[in-house]
Amino acid sequence: MLGRRGALRFLALPPYLWLAVFFVLPVLLIVAISFRPEAGPIDFGDPWTFSLAQYQRIWETPAYLRRLGMSVGMALAIAASATLLAYPIAYFLAFRARERAVFFLILLLIPFAVSYLLRVMAWRLMLGGEGAINSIFQWLGITSAPIDLLLYSPVAVVITLIYVWIPFAALPIYAALQRIERGHLEAAADLGAGPWSRFWRVTVPLSLPGAIAAFFMVFIPTVGEYVTPSLVGGTEGYMYGNIIQDFFTRAASWATGSALSVIMLLLTLVLVAVALRLIDVRRLAS
Amino acid sequence: MPARMNPARPLLAMLAGGVLLLSSCAGAEPNELLVLEWAGYDEERWWPDFKTANPDTAVDFEFGTNDADILAKMGAGSEADVFHFYTGYEQLYVDEELVREIDTSKLTNWDAVPADMQALGQIDGKQYFIPWDWGFSSILYNTDEVPEVTSWDALLNEDYAGHIAMWDDGPAAVTVSAYINGWDETAITDEQLAQIEEDWIAQKPLNIHYWDSEYDNLCPEVISGDIWIAYAWPGCYATALFEGAPVAYANPVEGRNSWVGLYGISTDTDSYELALQFLDAKLAELTCGTLVTDYYYGCANEEVMAAVDDPVLIEAFALNDPSVLETTNFTPPVTAEDRDAWTAMWTRVKAE
Repeated sequence: MLGRRGALRFLALPPYLWLAVFFVLPVLLIVAISFRPEAGPIDFGDPWTFSLAQYQRIWETPAYLRRLGMSVGMALAIAASATLLAYPIAYFLAFRARERAVFFLILLLIPFAVSYLLRVMAWRLMLGGEGAINSIFQWLGITSAPIDLLLYSPVAVVITLIYVWIPFAALPIYAALQRIERGHLEAAADLGAGPWSRFWRVTVPLSLPGAIAAFFMVFIPTVGEYVTPSLVGGTEGYMYGNIIQDFFTRAASWATGSALSVIMLLLTLVLVAVALRLIDVRRLAS
Repeated sequence: MPARMNPARPLLAMLAGGVLLLSSCAGAEPNELLVLEWAGYDEERWWPDFKTANPDTAVDFEFGTNDADILAKMGAGSEADVFHFYTGYEQLYVDEELVREIDTSKLTNWDAVPADMQALGQIDGKQYFIPWDWGFSSILYNTDEVPEVTSWDALLNEDYAGHIAMWDDGPAAVTVSAYINGWDETAITDEQLAQIEEDWIAQKPLNIHYWDSEYDNLCPEVISGDIWIAYAWPGCYATALFEGAPVAYANPVEGRNSWVGLYGISTDTDSYELALQFLDAKLAELTCGTLVTDYYYGCANEEVMAAVDDPVLIEAFALNDPSVLETTNFTPPVTAEDRDAWTAMWTRVKAE
């Protein structure tokens, strides 16, 4: 008979198997394919030969690496903005909404009921020359003509992705804020701390692990984002993820696409590791 | 004491039953078809004749985003029975043994396809593909904003910065550059390709965006007036005309480009006869007619094209201009090496 530990391991087996087959294995395949030599379609019947040709090809094209730098910069800006904007929402849900918290939480999650593509397309209408934002600006007399920068630009990508990610970012912050013992705040008040002081010296530090989780939840997928840039980014909003997509689809070069993916994966892992090392989340959490 | 039953017996019985079932099915084709298509062509209005003739057949679709993607999917082992692509890639399918010869004697609508169109699907005397949709590529422009366009170089004209939309396609960019420079697009040298790359990098800021879906991010913006000059197909031209937009479709001195959509049957298909019926029905009157009237593309059935009497469609297809074919550049076959080099070049242009 299985002991408690054995039963737990048995129960954990399906998700581990799922991850192994549908996450770990594909990642390993991508790493392996990135070392194949073909510039075009791969013939998997050919003998497997090890080659650094794809990495050399990428190294010799500085534009790809510049796009990676730009994508990281955009992802940092989007993640920071989405986290900052999500924080007040999460704070309201945790401390002010009281018995209506569930209702507001459902409101927050309602956008997820709408297709991601539709939400991005809606922003295309909002940011267009005759869209709501330009129309309001002109009606208020702030501008006399539509602002071209709003649509088909990196700015459009940043605005749209911040909108998309705010509800996601609010959830881990909300969870962190909910875990804060109210007694800590009462103790701080008893010791003479005012509302601002309690917020900055008690609430913020104790909720930082949630905020950091929110930041990385946004940052990591945004580095490789390609759907939103292709819909609202125009020629200048083309991100590193679009290069990967192009190599897998248009150029039909899975080997180059895989090498680009491996580079992005490694860079993201390094950035996350460095950030976590600097921030020391465990100390914050304790 | 009753004899114990051999535990393997039920298993053997099930196995034998399975073998019998399989053997009874041997030789019969499955009543289902998988088509590797371009998004939008999965709607039943694009295959009504087949649906009427085969109401119980399950037709499923998977999609490719462009010719390179469709070729890659077939090469990677797609289970599609039928696939749809455009001229230029024919030889690659034959070289990679991805396509099966078509028995045209079983196509009831084959005689309605003109001989020169039939020939587009032949390689080494064998009919590997059937032509279906066709059209031109040229420059669509807003006549209120742009004087008459007479050359492909209008796409690189800085006067229209922010209002140009090039198609997001490397081979198309190479073709346009070859027309402008008078180069043979089937023999582009490395130096010429480097020049083409430089030219399109310089052109990049002039675009409002690169379009990749005719009816999603090209036509609406041509009609709204945001796009003044675009690489375009006749479908968008006709749509804009129907909407009353002030547009014209150029006849550049270098000539228009012309393309034809082709269907092939996969080498690995288990549904060859059904696939033939599907292709035959594609050429039937209702299906072809819908393509012409709803999508404003030409169809390989010349009887359908002869019946076109709408002036907008006649204009879009240049059916009133018998000389248009004399100055039209038909899309030549592309080699695998060129395709790889051209698409990689375009990715570099976009990344700059």
